[in-house]
Amino acid sequence: MRDTSETEIAVAGQTAIKFTAKDVDVFYGETHAIRGVNVDILDKTVTAFIGPSGCGKTTFLRCLNRMNDTIPICRVTGDIRLDGEDIYDRRVDPVQLRARVGMVFQKPNPFPKSIYDNVAYGPKIHGLAKNRAELDGVVEDALRRAALWTEVKDRLKEPGTGLSGGQQQRLCIARAVATNPEVLLMDEPCSALDPIATAQIEELIDELRENFLVVIVTHSMQQAARVSQRTAFFHLGDLVEYGETGQIFTNPHDPRTESYITGRIG
Amino acid sequence: MTKTNIEAAGWSSDASRLNLRRRRRSETWLKGAGLVAISLAFLMLFTLVASLFATGYQAFRQTHVTIEVTVPAEVTDPGDANWRAIVREAVARLFPEAGDRELRGLSDILSNGAQYIVRDRVSANLSLIGQTFEVKVPVSDPYDQLNKGLIDRATPEANRRVSDDEIAAFDQLVEAGRITRPMNWALLTNVDSRFPELAGLKGALLGSFYALLTCFVISFPIGIGAAIYLEEFAPKNRLSDIIEININNLAAVPSVVFGLLALAVFLNWFGLPRGAPFVGGLTLALMTLPTIIIATRAALKAVPPSIREAALGVGASKQQVVFQHVLPLAMPGILTGTIIGLAQALGETAPLLLIGMNAFITAAPATPFESATALPTQIFIWADSPERGFVSRTSAAILVLLGFLVLMNALAIYLRNRFERRW
Amino acid sequence: MEGKVPSEHHIMAAFDRELESVQALIMKMGGLVEANILDAAQALEARDEELAERVRNVDVAIDELEEQVNHEAARVLALRSPAASDLRTVLSVMKIAGNLERIGDYAKNMGKRVSVLAQMPPIDGGGGALRRMTKVVAEMLKDALDAYIQRDAELAHDVRLRDHDVDQMYNALFREFLTFMMEDPRNITACMHLHFIAKNIERMGDHVTAIAEQVIYLVTGQMPEDRRPKGDETSYIHPEEDAE
Repeated sequence: MRDTSETEIAVAGQTAIKFTAKDVDVFYGETHAIRGVNVDILDKTVTAFIGPSGCGKTTFLRCLNRMNDTIPICRVTGDIRLDGEDIYDRRVDPVQLRARVGMVFQKPNPFPKSIYDNVAYGPKIHGLAKNRAELDGVVEDALRRAALWTEVKDRLKEPGTGLSGGQQQRLCIARAVATNPEVLLMDEPCSALDPIATAQIEELIDELRENFLVVIVTHSMQQAARVSQRTAFFHLGDLVEYGETGQIFTNPHDPRTESYITGRIG
Repeated sequence: MTKTNIEAAGWSSDASRLNLRRRRRSETWLKGAGLVAISLAFLMLFTLVASLFATGYQAFRQTHVTIEVTVPAEVTDPGDANWRAIVREAVARLFPEAGDRELRGLSDILSNGAQYIVRDRVSANLSLIGQTFEVKVPVSDPYDQLNKGLIDRATPEANRRVSDDEIAAFDQLVEAGRITRPMNWALLTNVDSRFPELAGLKGALLGSFYALLTCFVISFPIGIGAAIYLEEFAPKNRLSDIIEININNLAAVPSVVFGLLALAVFLNWFGLPRGAPFVGGLTLALMTLPTIIIATRAALKAVPPSIREAALGVGASKQQVVFQHVLPLAMPGILTGTIIGLAQALGETAPLLLIGMNAFITAAPATPFESATALPTQIFIWADSPERGFVSRTSAAILVLLGFLVLMNALAIYLRNRFERRW
Repeated sequence: MEGKVPSEHHIMAAFDRELESVQALIMKMGGLVEANILDAAQALEARDEELAERVRNVDVAIDELEEQVNHEAARVLALRSPAASDLRTVLSVMKIAGNLERIGDYAKNMGKRVSVLAQMPPIDGGGGALRRMTKVVAEMLKDALDAYIQRDAELAHDVRLRDHDVDQMYNALFREFLTFMMEDPRNITACMHLHFIAKNIERMGDHVTAIAEQVIYLVTGQMPEDRRPKGDETSYIHPEEDAE
């Protein structure tokens, strides 16, 4: 893992802002799930969303790639911009947005196809490879970036569901990075994995942040502390505190953050 | 309860042992009741099938007589010749001592269709003209019954179908070794006839086939399309709820109602040909649609949402998610539901009767638009016929129908097991 | 989750108990050290060898307590992964224990010199001055420990400032002893011992100041920014120069 001093400098310095959210509210029917969230998420860093269950961190994450569009009773208001462009603008195609903003889910969910087809699916439907050779290259590149290539290069035709839990999750990560996204959203990616697989994924996330912005929702504070450079604490739909990870975990400003981190809120 | 009471009660006390015995007893009763129920069901099924077999097995063999036929050399066109006389001459050869009057009676031993069988044989092989050759022809129904022992020789002659002389003549043939009883393939390859020994299911099989084909071609795409639309694309509002309730109710409508509908709309209004398998197929399609829609919806609902989310997350559009991910995974369930629906359609009788597929038709349908019968309606017709031979043939036809049903259900089970997915 | 108010207590009651236990050890240690300082000064002034012996024995208990604190603090770190204020609590507890143990050692040292000094003629005013200095340090320690228990950063600041007085007193004593030694060479041995004792007391004051700084770190999350007031000028005292 990187040096802490290095990350502090890098974050405090001139890293570009990738996502900005202003006055974002989310309603599930009558329920007010997210209240007036304002946050600037920096590029090429790992940002963690933490908070107790039901605080809205996953809801907010799913706003960033418009996955909430698939839920009919969900309504999103406010301004969310990726590189300055409003992603909820009528001209923006959510399908294309999701190729730029990839997502990895809590339970590994590879398609019931071969390993190759799993990774190749995204590039194929978005027309990112002109011929078979290029597609092969894209698949290999994605599998390498997910630290899975050496383990599966001889069995690309085997079904993706035949891998172990940690390997399946890495396959899902490879599938997400195959479309060359700019942002990777991860919703509790390690909660279904054993500690060693978790550590491998965390190391992978640290490598990935060289090329992507990674936003990770986690219910493990220790994981957020290990993996992220910036942490946002959500509580009952509010963004309570957002800052550099080291500061949040040694000396948080808001008493609610302090209570959650020291294990005093339920 | 104080601590001492619980300790005193304990797990090995009398009260708890009694409790355990009571529980075991009720479990035994329940198991017993279940076994009795299953045994009763099996008993009834066994009785049904056994009785069918008992009456029907005779129909699977048909008594034949071997005759020698001489085709006169003058015959030029097999279509023209007097085959009746030729066959009569062959019978004469069988009974050299018989006089003319007796010969006429003895000719009744042979089936009425014998002349046509001989004619078809010569038409197929013109080199037989001028030759004498042996040919096996079926005997007529009374003698078939006699040979199968279904006519009791002990009954008084007046109550018997065959007279003593006729029996004597027949026994003569038996002694001469000319009577055989091969498998009755004609049951499946011949068309219907008023003579039981010649009657076959070919017309009915073709009629059912065309009807099912039409039913499948219409109901499969429409049913799946409707189910996909209702499940994936329709907005979840009161209108969709009403549609869903109506579809579920349609599955419970009695089939005779569909028959009346077909009669009124397809035959009267549209003027489609009466008794055509196509119309039968249309009616069956109406009946099978709800089944397919319900089965497809269930199969689609069973696809775990994680697959959909994964596809959406990679940037697939709703359409791509449904057609490239959800539908292939739901296919086994859809196929199973379809096959079961079709198997039900195969056995439907009431609607087909109402649209006229119960006529006596002696030609097999060449297209789905010609009048025909279907298996269930053919059974219905044969059950009504007076000839003795049709009794066993009806049962045999029922067995054929049951055989196809079992086959289709087995196919459904095989497909379901083969393609069962573990997500 | 709706309606749950953040409480003083951890959800894991055992965590609360462990933190309380390790802090209770500190208070116990602090009490022992405070008493020992005063006893050592008393033993010095009254030339009481028995008291000095008691001081040495108590110091053994103090050392044991420090070991215990370190052991329990390490357990809390390993098993509870404390964060934010809990982490600072554990870290400060370990440092305070270390400081208390050093203070205790100085007190023991004072006691050790009692038997030597008992054989020499008393230095005028030496014992009294030392006792006054010790009293100041003992009060500083008491206040520092109070500030710790009450999480009172103001009080801790105040303690830091009072170290200045201790340093001044030490400067004065340094000059006085020099004078005594220059006046009468027979005083040198006694004065040397007394000087070392004075130095020890001044060092005690520094350690109490360190404890106060830990309290400020615990409460505010940051070490105090202003430099510790250093009043010890003895490194620069040169009597010949002063005289000129």
